[in-house]
Amino acid sequence: MTHPPLVLRLLEALRRLPGVGPKSAQRMAFHLLERDREGALRLSLALQEALEGVGRCRRCHNLSEGELCPICSNERRDGQVVCVVESPADVQALEQSTGFQGRYFVLGGHLSPLDGVGPDELGLEQLAAQVAEGEVQEVIIATNPTVEGEATAHYISELLAASGARITRLAHGVPLGGELEYVDSGTLSRAFHGRREVQ
Amino acid sequence: MGHADDPLLPGFVLHRTPFRESSLLLEVFTPSGRLGLVARGGRGKRSRIAAIVQPFVPLWLSWTGQGDLATLAHVELRPPPLSLTGRALFTAFYVNELLLRLTSRHDPQPELFEHYQWLLWQLVAGAEEWTLRRFEVVLLAELGYGLLLHCDGDGRPLRPDSRYCYHLERGPLPLQGEAPCPLTISGETLLALDGHSPPQLGAEREAKRLLRAVIHHHLGGRPLRSRELFRQMFVRHTDQGE
Ligand SMILES: [Zn+2]
Repeated sequence: MTHPPLVLRLLEALRRLPGVGPKSAQRMAFHLLERDREGALRLSLALQEALEGVGRCRRCHNLSEGELCPICSNERRDGQVVCVVESPADVQALEQSTGFQGRYFVLGGHLSPLDGVGPDELGLEQLAAQVAEGEVQEVIIATNPTVEGEATAHYISELLAASGARITRLAHGVPLGGELEYVDSGTLSRAFHGRREVQ
Repeated sequence: MGHADDPLLPGFVLHRTPFRESSLLLEVFTPSGRLGLVARGGRGKRSRIAAIVQPFVPLWLSWTGQGDLATLAHVELRPPPLSLTGRALFTAFYVNELLLRLTSRHDPQPELFEHYQWLLWQLVAGAEEWTLRRFEVVLLAELGYGLLLHCDGDGRPLRPDSRYCYHLERGPLPLQGEAPCPLTISGETLLALDGHSPPQLGAEREAKRLLRAVIHHHLGGRPLRSRELFRQMFVRHTDQGE
């Protein structure tokens, strides 16, 4: 079957979404174009506005509309404790299951030695600079329990070793290969509250 | 090789990358050599496969299909679990990159596989740098790039108390008075690298320089990414590197 060029472009664009293959892309495109053109317009506007309006928080690198995200600009959050996570989804998961009142630092990934993803790509110098300012008393490393997450945690603990801050790591209970985002909240809560010293 | 009812083979994932919508492309290392496997659905976050197809996890594997990309048919953990942390983890990433860069797919390497597995367990046990050097020597030998470590380039036995100039193509030649040599090394260190004697003081540094030069040569001069990361990481605390 051949599609008009504009439909082809839409299919191509939809396939950029994670988990969307040719068939799902076609289903989505036909749904939007045939059954829900109003919804399609809303989707395209929302996407455009989000792209223009959402950037990264200057302090924690989480997604944010302002220069500082709501967590960083909330004065009741405890600036003495910083939790380092791989992705914005991890912030969501921890917010929902732990009652954590400190701040975050979002790496946007993990060290991947063979792919050339190093400390610069993760903003680790900025993290070190923030900790060096002196307010931070504890850094909780909550990278995923994968080998790359473990390597990242080790790198960060070495990087911050001389800072004087206490460095802790989530306790076991998060399974090997698990990703925080998908760990059930009971397990995540136990891991968070049972965190231990790295050094 | 290549049917679903084939017996499971021991193996390790060297590297994995996202593939198509929800799959993973794995480079695995088995006694049958290195091969590329597609793990279908391996990126489903709740998938059992995603949790175990990680580097340095001892696995049992089977696959279907032939050619450059086969499909992972079955995978399970191969106890005992191997738990690498800290600095040893970075060394292990470096070794994986070496294997990826220096081996070819579908080139059976049963001996090298055993050595790789042995090295990982040594790293868990806190192995010293010398263990890594010995692994590099074995790796080069198994791949046909062996160093000349028992005699000099002219076939004379190496003397532990002599100094040599290591030529990448010819091997060690006795150091001649004033002639400049980029890679000097003692006979003692060469013999120790061959496994004949324990390393003496200063051997680690010499051996590292030699192996770095030889590996660099066989990599066609393209740098290793894991080494760069390692350097960034440890330079601030020590001057040892890997
Ligand atoms: Zn923020």
